[in-house]
Amino acid sequence: MSLLSVRNLVIDYAETRALDGADLDVAPGEKVGLVGESGSGKSTLGSAVGRLLPRTARRTGGEVLVAGEPVFDLPPAGLRRLRRRQLGFVFQDPIGSLDPTMRVGAQLRLVLGRGADVSMHLERVRLDDPRVARAYPHQLSGGMAQRVAVAMAMATSPELLVADEPTAALDSQVREEVLNVVFSLAADAGTSLLWLSHDLPAVARRCDRIAVMYGGRVVEHGPAREVLGKPAHPYTAALAGSAPAAAAHGARLEPVPGRPPVLTGPSPGCAFAPRCALAVDRCHHERPGPVRVRHQDVLCHRAGEVTA
Amino acid sequence: MTGTRAILELDDVTVTFTAGPPLRRIRLNAMMHVSLSVARGETLGLVGESGSGKTTTSRVALGLHRPTGGAVRFDGRPFPRRRRELAGRMQAVLQHPHWSLNPRMRVGQSVAEPLAVLGRPVGDLVTEMLGHVGLEESFATRYPHELSGGQRQRVSIARALVTRPDFIVFDEAVSALDVSVQVQILNLIRDLQEEYGFSALFISHDLGAVRYVADRIAVMRAGEVVETADTATFYTAPAHEYSRQLLEAL
Amino acid sequence: MKRPDRLSIGGLACLLVLVVFALGSLAGAGGDPDAIVGPRLQPPGPGWWLGTDNLGRSMVPRVMEGVGTTLLLSSLAVLVTAAVSATFGIIAGYRGGYLNELVMRLVEVLYSFPAIVLAILVAAVLGPGQVAASASIVLVTIPLMTRLVRAAAVAVSQRDYVTSAVISGARLPRVLGRHVLPNVAGTIAVQGTYALSVGIAVEGGLSFLGFGVQPPQASLGVLIQQGGTYMIAAPWLILGPGVVLVAAILSINVVGDGLRDQLEPRETRSLT
Repeated sequence: MSLLSVRNLVIDYAETRALDGADLDVAPGEKVGLVGESGSGKSTLGSAVGRLLPRTARRTGGEVLVAGEPVFDLPPAGLRRLRRRQLGFVFQDPIGSLDPTMRVGAQLRLVLGRGADVSMHLERVRLDDPRVARAYPHQLSGGMAQRVAVAMAMATSPELLVADEPTAALDSQVREEVLNVVFSLAADAGTSLLWLSHDLPAVARRCDRIAVMYGGRVVEHGPAREVLGKPAHPYTAALAGSAPAAAAHGARLEPVPGRPPVLTGPSPGCAFAPRCALAVDRCHHERPGPVRVRHQDVLCHRAGEVTA
Repeated sequence: MTGTRAILELDDVTVTFTAGPPLRRIRLNAMMHVSLSVARGETLGLVGESGSGKTTTSRVALGLHRPTGGAVRFDGRPFPRRRRELAGRMQAVLQHPHWSLNPRMRVGQSVAEPLAVLGRPVGDLVTEMLGHVGLEESFATRYPHELSGGQRQRVSIARALVTRPDFIVFDEAVSALDVSVQVQILNLIRDLQEEYGFSALFISHDLGAVRYVADRIAVMRAGEVVETADTATFYTAPAHEYSRQLLEAL
Repeated sequence: MKRPDRLSIGGLACLLVLVVFALGSLAGAGGDPDAIVGPRLQPPGPGWWLGTDNLGRSMVPRVMEGVGTTLLLSSLAVLVTAAVSATFGIIAGYRGGYLNELVMRLVEVLYSFPAIVLAILVAAVLGPGQVAASASIVLVTIPLMTRLVRAAAVAVSQRDYVTSAVISGARLPRVLGRHVLPNVAGTIAVQGTYALSVGIAVEGGLSFLGFGVQPPQASLGVLIQQGGTYMIAAPWLILGPGVVLVAAILSINVVGDGLRDQLEPRETRSLT
């Protein structure tokens, strides 16, 4: 049984549609990378898991189940219990996610409860300098602050940790350290991980499975190696081929022309069709349903032919 | 350098910062004996982690920071004391797409600004430059908040090119963009360089991006240049152990 | 741009009504503020809708004149504050170094005086009157405004578009005038409205103590001071100007909040 199950979720903001029927499953203990470019809806999906959406967001359809509980239909007390016991969140801006008026140790104690061993929790995220607990958030570097945020999110050993681009605001050297901490803590606690990122190769290196988002839907979902190595959706193929590091010496990469769509309502067909080299008439008018290609679940009318 | 004269040379440059209270002052070497040169028409890539000194190198190359020791030469001559003497000959495309353009100025005004600084006529140059970076004429009247990150970096590039500079510094110019947009911008930089023949210093923490646009690559670590070699080397076998680590991390 | 909320629109409407009153008084509407129209200390009634004062003057034209004096005095003072604070705040914030230290220390010295003590000191030096009241408002509002403008200027100075302009060879006046000033103008406008409400309060306090505007000219402070003498016998004398004073300060603050919501979110949006 899935720990997290998102079914046909539709989320609307005032004038734009952020999620247009997204499906996602995360099994207990699984590490899933949710990959998409800005505007693909991945942050909305990540926040929807804990019902942490901004006030202007409206759920137009679908549901989110965490450990079998419908997140959007829970009473406030049930929702708080779910967030406290089963879910952990780490966001992009590490310093902004901590209370600026409170020392780090005091904030951790607030999460852990009185008499908890703060230094042990800080050591788990490789912050063994005792000064860290006495520091205020603005005195920490971005990498240190993010590790404190990870320690807080993992303090209760949640069943699912949602990490929304946790390293986007950090320098590359620190990125690896923070990710190492996240993955090793999650592995120790048996926590499932949903890691949101726009970097497909980086996600493929660490995750079991990858879900690729485009236009508010998960367009491809499958084992990490398969999705990166033999993508079944044309968009995934384009994404995998567009990293500068993927180019051979002297070769020129040709990125997909155009820009990701901004939806105002349900997409009439496949949202990628206007930019897709394989698109046929049908792609513009008929919403693709899920098909199974090798090990992947794909939303594409021509999924079988991508590999051909 | 013999043969083609270098447009920019850093000769044994050292930059030391001092910090802390007067009696317990700490000295930090951001750059230690760094020598680099950018030949005419060449793109020199500079890779390094944060804290490696590449940001300081960029500021020294742009004349925003005076080195503690060593010499900086632009087009064979020592760096002038007054920045204005180089106005229009040197430009930069910087990191944050969100802050690269003045939010209170229309795109067209931003692109025209380097010309206005020099007191040169603008004419049709704004439209022409926007066209070169793949933006329609109508963008000139928009404000930055109406543009995507990739579009804003295109405008920054148009602004940098409008004075036909000899030398442009790209400081983490694509790092904040989505991967597919990164390639669009990197391709644009390559194409424009072919057309205009400017020299460039392309600074990034991402070896993949640097390798894609640079002719030669210098690797910095802890304030020192540990290796400088042709780009081809960085696809196969860089000499320094640290460069190999960077290559493996790709 | 986001639509302003109802509260700040209400505040703006209230403020406009006050301005119309003040302008009306200049045009002679409501009658002569110095004319004696009836018996002394009459409660509100026909001919004197807000009552009469201890000399038998109708309170309606007097409150109208008072609003005008107070608003004009405070606005002029706040304009001076804005100009001074913008100049020093921007230069200190952009340049940093010793100049910054000097400006900030001076501002801190000013800031350490309680507002009313500072105002009384100024009045003692300059002699009571409108000039002293204006100068006090300027000195009381400068420290906070300068600090906030400087903080905003420090942040703006580090943005890439400022660096790009410097690299292009732009001279200091251009960098400050075209890039820094327009991007701290929101802060100046918002702080200006708050300073205006502080200014109104300072004028009220000073005139109440007799150091500000001098009778027979009416200002809200003068009227409240005079009304205070007859508070038990004729409470309407203090009620009219008092309500107007509170309304002016409240509505200006509300407008300031609305202005801040309009101007600042776009500036402070996160890094993404």
